[in-house]
Amino acid sequence: MRGFLLHRLFQSAVLLVIVSLIGFATLSLMPGGPMAQYGLDPGMTQDDLARLKQQLGLDRPLWVQYFDWAWRLLQGDWGKSFRDGSAVLSVIGRHIFATLLLMGTSTVIAIALGSWIGIRGATHRHSVFDYLATIGAMIALSIPTFWFGLIGIYFFTLKLGWLPAGNMYTIGDGSVLDYAHHLIMPSVVLSLVHVAIWSRYMRTATLDAISQDFVKTARAKGASERRVLMKHVVGNALLPMIALAGVQLPSILTGALVTETVFTWPGMGRLFLDSLSYSDYPVVMGLLIFSAIIVILGNLIADIVIAFVDPRIRLA
Amino acid sequence: MNTLALRDRPSRWWQSRVARRFAQHPLALLGLVMITALTVACVVGPWLLPYDILQIDLRARFAPPLTGSHILGTDPLGRDLAARLFVAGRVSLLVGFSAMLLSVVVGTVVGVIAGYRGGWLGAALMRTVDGFLAFPSIFLVLALSAALQPSPLMIVVIIAVTKWMEVARIVEAEVRSLREREFVLAGRMLGLSSVHIMFREILPNAMGPITVAASLTVARAILLEAYISFLGYGIQPPLPSWGNMLNGAQQYLSSAPWMAIIPGAAITIAVTSFNFIGDGLRDALDVKGEHG
Amino acid sequence: MTKPIDTKAGWSRRDAMRLAAIGGLGLAAPNLLGRPAFGQTPPQKPAGRVVVGMSQEPTVLNPLMVKIEVDDGVHFSLFDALFRVDPKGVIQPNLAREVPSQQNGGISQDGLQWRVKLRDNVRWHDGKPFTAEDVKFTLELIVNPKFRSWRTLGHALVRDITIVSPTEIQWRMEQPFAPYLSFLTETFIVPKHAFDGEADVNNAAFNRAPIGTGAFKFGKRVAGDHVELVANPDYFGEGPYLERLIFKYIPDSTVLYTQLKSGDIDMIGQQYIPANYFEEAKKLPSLAVEKVLRSNIESIYFNLDRPQFKELVVRQAIYTAIDRKSIIDALYYGMPAPTETFMPKQSAYYNPNLPVQEFDLKKAAKMLEDAGWKKGPDGIRAKDGVKLSFANSTTAGDQLREQLQQFVKQSLAEIGVEMKISNLPAAVIWGDFWQQSQFDTAIVGITFLIGADPDVTNRFSSKAIPAKGGRGSNNAQYVNPEVDALLEQGTRTFDPEARRPIYNKIQELVRRDLPFMPIYQTEAGYGRKKKIQGFQANPNTRTESWDAAHWYWMS
Repeated sequence: MRGFLLHRLFQSAVLLVIVSLIGFATLSLMPGGPMAQYGLDPGMTQDDLARLKQQLGLDRPLWVQYFDWAWRLLQGDWGKSFRDGSAVLSVIGRHIFATLLLMGTSTVIAIALGSWIGIRGATHRHSVFDYLATIGAMIALSIPTFWFGLIGIYFFTLKLGWLPAGNMYTIGDGSVLDYAHHLIMPSVVLSLVHVAIWSRYMRTATLDAISQDFVKTARAKGASERRVLMKHVVGNALLPMIALAGVQLPSILTGALVTETVFTWPGMGRLFLDSLSYSDYPVVMGLLIFSAIIVILGNLIADIVIAFVDPRIRLA
Repeated sequence: MNTLALRDRPSRWWQSRVARRFAQHPLALLGLVMITALTVACVVGPWLLPYDILQIDLRARFAPPLTGSHILGTDPLGRDLAARLFVAGRVSLLVGFSAMLLSVVVGTVVGVIAGYRGGWLGAALMRTVDGFLAFPSIFLVLALSAALQPSPLMIVVIIAVTKWMEVARIVEAEVRSLREREFVLAGRMLGLSSVHIMFREILPNAMGPITVAASLTVARAILLEAYISFLGYGIQPPLPSWGNMLNGAQQYLSSAPWMAIIPGAAITIAVTSFNFIGDGLRDALDVKGEHG
Repeated sequence: MTKPIDTKAGWSRRDAMRLAAIGGLGLAAPNLLGRPAFGQTPPQKPAGRVVVGMSQEPTVLNPLMVKIEVDDGVHFSLFDALFRVDPKGVIQPNLAREVPSQQNGGISQDGLQWRVKLRDNVRWHDGKPFTAEDVKFTLELIVNPKFRSWRTLGHALVRDITIVSPTEIQWRMEQPFAPYLSFLTETFIVPKHAFDGEADVNNAAFNRAPIGTGAFKFGKRVAGDHVELVANPDYFGEGPYLERLIFKYIPDSTVLYTQLKSGDIDMIGQQYIPANYFEEAKKLPSLAVEKVLRSNIESIYFNLDRPQFKELVVRQAIYTAIDRKSIIDALYYGMPAPTETFMPKQSAYYNPNLPVQEFDLKKAAKMLEDAGWKKGPDGIRAKDGVKLSFANSTTAGDQLREQLQQFVKQSLAEIGVEMKISNLPAAVIWGDFWQQSQFDTAIVGITFLIGADPDVTNRFSSKAIPAKGGRGSNNAQYVNPEVDALLEQGTRTFDPEARRPIYNKIQELVRRDLPFMPIYQTEAGYGRKKKIQGFQANPNTRTESWDAAHWYWMS
């Protein structure tokens, strides 16, 4: 196990270097750069722009900029935002709560609803429910998240007036209920795809379990259907579920970015888009690295869990 | 030489087991019908409608669907939405398809080489694949399209850059399992070149999973194009795409909701079709794999 | 009741000139001018809270650091400058006791020596007194090469700053530069003591927790969400009447408007009410809605270096082929009014007598035909091997401009001119592509003036072409020696009455030469809850919140 872990950690480090190189190269390709936002300011002269560029260190050769950035990162310094001068980590920290709240809520919805659909589909195999769930899942995987959000806003905000169209809370309120009210639509929208994935997964897992001998034995012994299901199926599927959640991280992060845009949610996705449009390189790079770390960690957890469950994989 | 690779190829492909099984898959057939109908509409539609997509008529702006001969209504410049939807469909489908082709080609080449050669080269290639997978692709795609001048070709390349890895993984796994099979060993003994063995002997046997991956990749490519165009970084007007028709529709959601509903529905239909087809192919070809 | 203020009615341009020339007499009642009478009286003690929503996030709290328009609202509320420009365009004293001029001796006859008398009753939010030391520190910080400062134009000419007394400061200018007075209305003074012992001015604690002299103190900033200010009970001027002032970031302009409508925010800031909702907003009983002129001129820029545009008649013909009325009525819901000049209408220097563009496709085609631009087999005109075909660029994703482009493209096609659309992301287009004049034509919303001063040297002087090594932002690459001379003369002339004919003439020449085609001057849909009293729009500033000290809730 230790060797496996070290091996994976080394791999992850190499991955991070690759990610950072791609990110840095991409940003430096951008012909406009951070000075573009001042390009229309009537009072800023070319001298001002050149001075700012030099102050931000953007006049140095690219490789110098990269190594300077990477060296600082290794020492724990993620750099400072071009926009407000605050440390990148604290900028990310200030936006992470909103994203975690959204991702967490929608993951809970996805697992709960997905498990219910999946288990019911498996125990009522070939029923109308099972059939509709299968088709429904495939359609859910095909709906653009942002469009689903727009349709939601159209019906629940504009037509019915039940739910707010955006923001995380009402200024001056900020009670738990207020947060919950704002959270409903974005988290349901974000969970759509994942409900589909979870329901497919739980269906397969349940079918596997049902066909296994010990479940058959338990049933033969006269244990109630529900108890057998809960104990054996869910118990057995728990670790792989954690693994699946880990593997799902990049996709839920992508979904969060788009959902945050539609619902003006003050999270990391919006921070990324804002930072991109202001060419705030340190924050953009910070978010890239940060999200890559999350994704790598997710995969690592998935791998460890799988290796734990199935020792044969350990060597792979 | 090719005969070595063939196991049970029948004389006519439509008589094959695969085709029969696909034809018995109702969802797959439905998908095939839907996407064919949509493609035909996009190709032929603009010729049948009395409107040019660029024809501006400010007096007819924001006409709701079924106003006169505007079956799907008009947009803020009074352009016919149906005509734009079909032309946008050409763009979106073409971008999706081209991105799929490119990612399948790249993914296959990488996968075959990594799987067949193995060793440090294989490991290096597969770690690169992991590297790309570790990137939340939307971040990469947005950064790339913000940096580069967004032409349709560029969008295709950008999408392919983030979609080839899954094909590479599937192919690598398949090739690794085929590497030690008799027909490959036989090929080696006959002194065939590695390139020949890789691409003429092994590859045809890996076509099943590749086909499934391809149809699912089209679906994802169309979705990704929609995402980035919606965020304003994708296909640029005046060239319409389903995604960029939605960019800005939010603004008119209360006054002209059809502008948001219709292009989104088109995307959903197209993507669903490809997912249905992929599912059917998977069953027909006996390919194992998770949904995604 | 607050009456919307019509910037054109109720006062004559000449009055404004005279007042500007005399320089604020308003020492006793600094903000009395132009202030409408209110039916209500403000509360004794600061009370209540106003939430201003804006679609960009204010992030820069140090008012001297490089910033964008949206940061201004916070700065005007936290800080004071030496002077402040009022809604009529007249410069009023703020931290200064009077506005220096050649008449009152504050500025020497040669325009080189400046002397400013300061208020003696001002304290910083932390209780320390405000003195001439702070002004000196501010002016020096701006040109400190290590400091990431905003505009240095004008400030770079300041030499030999001398503190005469705690309430008087003087300096010498490298050359006479009349616009500097106006620049100083946007130069907020920061406290010297807040930077004592700070090794890195760019990362001083002050930049995150600013200390000002303004009507509001800094409360807190929740990044990505809002900035909260609290009342400064010791403010030296009138007000504040609000206990708290909040600038809330709502990134989508439609959602922003929805929140105004639903009452979640009390006032709408940048980008204001979207044009397509303006009529609806006017009908809402809870809102006070008005159109307010902005200094921004929406225009189509020519790159005069391109061979297609060398000939004046080509530019005139293209201008004639643009149906501005249809564009404004349909795409912008009739909100803004067309203009013929770079000078905003609220400026005392606006020239109302310029020739008015008339849309006439036949005439446009004839102009080109007569000038020898003949249609080729592809229907596109050409002359001497130069094809009348060009690209038009603007910010990708800007819905309205994209619609404008497609409309113009169609009109131009009818007179045999080909316009191709080639848009770029914001972070790309306004970089070198724009600054180094790499475009053919570009649709751009431009503020030509710095502050409220009429000087446009940066935009139209032949020495200001970056593509030719110049220092300014003459991106059209406009060269006219007559304009050059007038611009030079304008910056050296301090008397507003004397400056007026100079800028009238410049506007005439620029209108004739058409380095850009003005489409309209932006008019923003300001909106707020009717119960907010004391609000006054000021088209000479970049923000609606220039005067939050005077806002209060109707009881």
